[in-house]
Amino acid sequence: MSSIKIENVYTAYDKADVLLDVSLEVVPGKITCLLGSNGAGKSTLIRSILGLTPPRAGRITVDGQDITGAPTHKVIAAGIACIPEGRRMFPKLTVTENLRLGAFQVADEALIRERMEKVFDTFPRLAERRDQLTGTMSGGEQAMVSIGRGLMGGPRILLIDEPSLGLSPLYVKENFRIIDGIRDSGITVFLVEQNVRQTLAIADYGYVLSGGRVVAQGTAEALKDDKEVYAAYFG
Amino acid sequence: MDIGLLGQYLANGVMLGTMYALVAVGFTLFFGVLDVIKFSHGDVLMLGSFTGFTVYIGVLAMGIENPWLMIAVILIVSITTTAAVGALIARYLVLPLKSAPPLNILLITLMLGTAIREAVRLFYPDGSNPKNFPALLPTASVDLGGFALRADSVILVGAGIAVIIGLNLLINRTRLGLAIRAVAQDEETAKIMGINYTLIVLVTFAIGSGAAAFAGIMNGLYYNEVNFGMGLLLGLIGFSAAIIGGLGNIYGAILGGFLFAGLQTVGAVALPFASAYKDVFAFGVVIALMAWKPTGLIAERSSDRV
Repeated sequence: MSSIKIENVYTAYDKADVLLDVSLEVVPGKITCLLGSNGAGKSTLIRSILGLTPPRAGRITVDGQDITGAPTHKVIAAGIACIPEGRRMFPKLTVTENLRLGAFQVADEALIRERMEKVFDTFPRLAERRDQLTGTMSGGEQAMVSIGRGLMGGPRILLIDEPSLGLSPLYVKENFRIIDGIRDSGITVFLVEQNVRQTLAIADYGYVLSGGRVVAQGTAEALKDDKEVYAAYFG
Repeated sequence: MDIGLLGQYLANGVMLGTMYALVAVGFTLFFGVLDVIKFSHGDVLMLGSFTGFTVYIGVLAMGIENPWLMIAVILIVSITTTAAVGALIARYLVLPLKSAPPLNILLITLMLGTAIREAVRLFYPDGSNPKNFPALLPTASVDLGGFALRADSVILVGAGIAVIIGLNLLINRTRLGLAIRAVAQDEETAKIMGINYTLIVLVTFAIGSGAAAFAGIMNGLYYNEVNFGMGLLLGLIGFSAAIIGGLGNIYGAILGGFLFAGLQTVGAVALPFASAYKDVFAFGVVIALMAWKPTGLIAERSSDRV
């Protein structure tokens, strides 16, 4: 089972430093979560892994393979997929087209169809709406497409950025149940969230990011009672 | 007006519309994937015509005289060369300026267009004079009640429309087209899907430029002439066609191309003044259309981008 290792990563936008010195390891075959308040640098870490905002220093490896600063399509080829923050639908493409894009690097048509059927089994509502433009769908339905799309490429590691953002409590609960199932199917999950309680309920291991540094880490059980976790949110 | 003359104008209008649509599709594709207006597009088309003309001289010197074979070689060499030029422009001029203000790209491609035009005028043998592009297609005609429909016109329009349909299928039905549409809608998410963004941009510029080369060859075969300045007006018309159709929309570009040709035809046929004013009339209507529908006839929100 696969893992990501992040060593001393420093990432900055034009003039603002966001990640100062981040080191962490995503546990193979488990759900590793990254908690932190708004602006802690969580999404920036995801962007750094994906090569969208390459780190200025440090090293990121996937099962030993160096992907630091690699172009995004090479990172995806290394076995990573991402369910991005805000779902990021292609609004003028249909459900089917969005799902196909999730499997863009898969050449085997039969495999693509098989995975698509699996997504439709998980989300029967999408099967009914397979030819609908995703821009016309509700937030909850878009979240289903986004999760399905993240699985279409058959990733070994799945990065999930703020899946609860902007969703009703019912959908949040459903999504966390599905993420739990993804881990059970053998995929390594790196879950970035603000929602502490529900995240720690399904995660195995966790890190807390604050001010561009990891300020706490431990098993999900231990973090539930860690006051650093709450300090990271409330100062 | 007699029906024969009307038929002649109609055939001419369809021919022009096909060419304009081919040019407009390029503008719309470039805008789709990169949000840029590439003003050298018309001059790249001219380069395609001159490449075709040069290939013609070459194959003639090699002793090839079968006109179909000539056309095939001319098309293949001209389209691939021009496509490569388009990709190179994207790689070395447009992509590096991607995060710069859009005005810079507009200006740099405008200057590039001038450079291409002047280079052909100065360095191509006797480049400042028009060249006689050969009439390679059969010119037999059928008489349709006072108007002669020529075989070469039918072949040119048929081929042009086939290319437009082919481009449409490429964009809407293939994996490459899906990637192009994804990049046009959301560059970053397209990257996250594992799409090689730079490659898709280069391929898109190659496709658009190749379509322009095809239009350039069509133009040469139809008018039996190429000249270094031909890209200016064709580029401007293609750009106007893309704008009135709704920039970023491939159907809009095709519609805009035929609409512009229709306006020119109306300007030449139905209006009381001399046909020399047809472009004035057509551009005047374009200005009015833009004032009425600033985002184009097919507004972006109600239609697919690219």
